[in-house]
Amino acid sequence: MKSSRSLRSLATICRQQTADPLRMFHNVRTTRVPTIPTSRPYSSSTTTSTTPPPPKSSVDPTEVAHFNALASSWWDPHGPSRILHLMNPLRHTFISRCMHGTPRTSKPPSALPSKNLRYLDVGCGGGIFAESAARLPTTASVTAIDPTPSVLAIAESHKRRDPTLTLPGRLNYLNTSIEHLPVPSNPSNDAYDIVSIFEVLEHVSAPGPFLEMAMKQVKPGGWLVMSTIARTWTSWLVTNVVAEDVLGIVPKGTHEWSKYVNEDELRAWFLERGWGRVGNEMRVQGVMYVPGLGWQEVGGSESWGNYFLAVRRPDDE
Amino acid sequence: MPPRLQLGAHRGLSSTTYIIRLPVRRPQRRFASSSTDTPEIYDVVCVGGGPAGLSLLAGLKASAITSGLKVALIEGQDLQKSRLRKDASLDSFSNRCSSLTPASVKNLQEIGAWRHVHASRVQPYHEMQVWDGVSDARISFDWESARTPFTPRKPSQPTTIAYMIENLNTTTALLSRLEELGGVDIYSATKVESIELGTDTQQLDMTSWPVVSLSNGKSLAARLLVGADGANSPVRTFAGIPSRGFDYNRHGVVASLQLSGPGWGGLDHKIAYQRFLPTGPIAMLPLPGNMATLVWSTTPERAAILKSLSSDDFIAMVNAAFRLSPTDLEYLHTLSSGQKDEVAWRERHTPAQERAIPQRVSFVQPGTVASFPLRMRHADTYTGERVALVGDAAHTIHPLAGQGLNQGQGDAAALFRTISHAVSTGQDIGSTLALESYTADRYAENNAMLGVCDKLHRLYSVGSGPLVGLRSLGFRAVDAIGPLKGFFMGRAAGGS
Ligand SMILES: Cc1cc2nc3c(=O)[nH]c(=O)nc-3n(C[C@H](O)[C@H](O)[C@H](O)COP(=O)(O)OP(=O)(O)OC[C@H]3O[C@@H](n4cnc5c(N)ncnc54)[C@H](O)[C@@H]3O)c2cc1C
Repeated sequence: MKSSRSLRSLATICRQQTADPLRMFHNVRTTRVPTIPTSRPYSSSTTTSTTPPPPKSSVDPTEVAHFNALASSWWDPHGPSRILHLMNPLRHTFISRCMHGTPRTSKPPSALPSKNLRYLDVGCGGGIFAESAARLPTTASVTAIDPTPSVLAIAESHKRRDPTLTLPGRLNYLNTSIEHLPVPSNPSNDAYDIVSIFEVLEHVSAPGPFLEMAMKQVKPGGWLVMSTIARTWTSWLVTNVVAEDVLGIVPKGTHEWSKYVNEDELRAWFLERGWGRVGNEMRVQGVMYVPGLGWQEVGGSESWGNYFLAVRRPDDE
Repeated sequence: MPPRLQLGAHRGLSSTTYIIRLPVRRPQRRFASSSTDTPEIYDVVCVGGGPAGLSLLAGLKASAITSGLKVALIEGQDLQKSRLRKDASLDSFSNRCSSLTPASVKNLQEIGAWRHVHASRVQPYHEMQVWDGVSDARISFDWESARTPFTPRKPSQPTTIAYMIENLNTTTALLSRLEELGGVDIYSATKVESIELGTDTQQLDMTSWPVVSLSNGKSLAARLLVGADGANSPVRTFAGIPSRGFDYNRHGVVASLQLSGPGWGGLDHKIAYQRFLPTGPIAMLPLPGNMATLVWSTTPERAAILKSLSSDDFIAMVNAAFRLSPTDLEYLHTLSSGQKDEVAWRERHTPAQERAIPQRVSFVQPGTVASFPLRMRHADTYTGERVALVGDAAHTIHPLAGQGLNQGQGDAAALFRTISHAVSTGQDIGSTLALESYTADRYAENNAMLGVCDKLHRLYSVGSGPLVGLRSLGFRAVDAIGPLKGFFMGRAAGGS
């Protein structure tokens, strides 16, 4: 589902009024995927999994169909996912800042072990984040899930190019969505140190229930890390009107602006559930693509553009 | 590397310049023995143990972030044999010396190699005298005259322009540092025989991985293959990266010399001299004590004559090259011997300000007079998929600014930074995406340096006419303006 990340990034470029990186999108197939009006708690089924569909799914079938079309150019460094590839290192910088605190804030009460971390990457797409997490020397294993079979096939085939990733248990792809994952019975043992949801929330039919499922996968003391884009007039204008209609460089139907989640909404939502109440247990970082400089952290931009948000599961939960 | 070696398939490098990927053919017999059937997998395979390659490896092993990488070094020559002896005499110096900028020295300090240097064989210098052999216009560089009248020299400001050091001293120090750090598989006195792309087996798709076959029968697969293999880089050939440039039709004549004294500034204030002659610049660079190293770029014909002379005649020619007119020098090169007497006679009729030129050469160290062709080459890019070039493999420069080795040190430091960032963010260090920042970091800077040195060469190749007057004007103007001089010196010292 994550090729939309490039489009997300594209949104930011458009905001920068620079046409240059747009040429990378020339080979995106602009098949129109019909967009379903969005007033749904859950869409009724998923069309992608071979397992019988559950009664409710977080996956929007139109989204799945859409990304099947984009999948082939996922790993082309000059292809449509380029800006997404460029963003990936920032995710790691953000995560390690969450885990290790900053000089100003004290460390979380019981810091995560600095080694043998277990990751769950939700909506892993072609595996850009999952591969990089699995390569880190501090990683024990990465479980990466995505409901779109063709996208996962790309991830699997790309994984074979790196002997480190094919080490047993290092990186496991599962063709599934989060509601099919078993809920850890003993979270302190079976849950994950880091659960990541990058550029997925804006494509999910109902973010609340989706996030609740993800929260169950986080180990006490572990982190839930996500990135998405704020629902503002700028983002609507740029991603939906300029990129899709005016320029025609982003496949139509990639974005549904009404699905975008704002940072203050997310914050409040987690606080209500008792997560992130202690000062340094919730972190937000706005990021922006600046042509010529690449992705930059820009304080305050979380309220109108792309942002990372991480929240730590309380130890006693 | 001569083309007869199988250097594998040429590979496409960027979205714009795709070269057709040739089918990879592997001779059956080379993989007949089971020990070489599956190549050993490395994160970094560095071909070339010159100053650039060794500096990169020491940087990687000295850092906690990158020290876990599995790393191999392949060097065609015997690294143990080409080491500076601990008891090496201070009366004899290798003829391959370089002027290390403070920036290069700082980098060597940071990676922990500088303390392994034979310090008594390193000569800092504090002043440069550069003049035009046709018009005699002159610039002198030292940090004192480079400051503005309004800013007194701060104690933190450098007084050293650069450090003269034998290349052997630099590489020996780097090797000692690597031994201290450990963790590098060193294949010394081992040549790269061929480089090909890997294969796709059931479990692994290694078709983007370079596999390096060695003269000892081993083969290594590289996540990142570093070409630190000099001007004729086999790695660059494998990657299909074109390298463009030209030969200057000049040779650099080098020699280790003894002068009649330690220099006009004494042992504590050493001076480098460079005189621009129409055939190219001649430079006398200070070494410890009374020693100095010569770099004289001249035509191949003249280089051949100089190399054929007796010691006495060679010495006379070097002394003459700093003192006599270009016309006199031209005549002297037509003689096959007898320069000593001829120069002595001519010098009596040519007034020279002895204190403005290097002290007289009294002795030439036997076996050190050598020459090498001067070239300018610049690779189109420094990176490809799973390939990065550093040092002379990426660029060869006219030696008049003494920047060749320094550029390689800058490359090594930049590639280290790129690899380190990639490792800490989980990127594949061989991917073009991860390597992009290295080319971005170095290309423009190296290109500017190549351009400046090339233009200087051309400007000073002119023996007469209006250009001579103009360039003299330029010399005098720069010399008169302290801050401008400070700018040039900052560049020469490796700053910005
Ligand atoms: C004769 C000569 C004199 C010079 N004099 C000066 C000077 O006075 N001042 C100055 O600043 N610069 C000088 N230079 C330039 C300077 O030496 C280079 O800029 C510098 O050495 C470049 O370092 P490097 O590590 O990039 O490459 P190199 O020092 O060229 O190292 C490349 C290494 O790769 C190895 N190699 C190549 N092919 C293979 C293979 N197939 N298998 C295994 N190993 C291989 C070689 O054996 C070599 O050790 C001179 C160069 C030459 C050739």
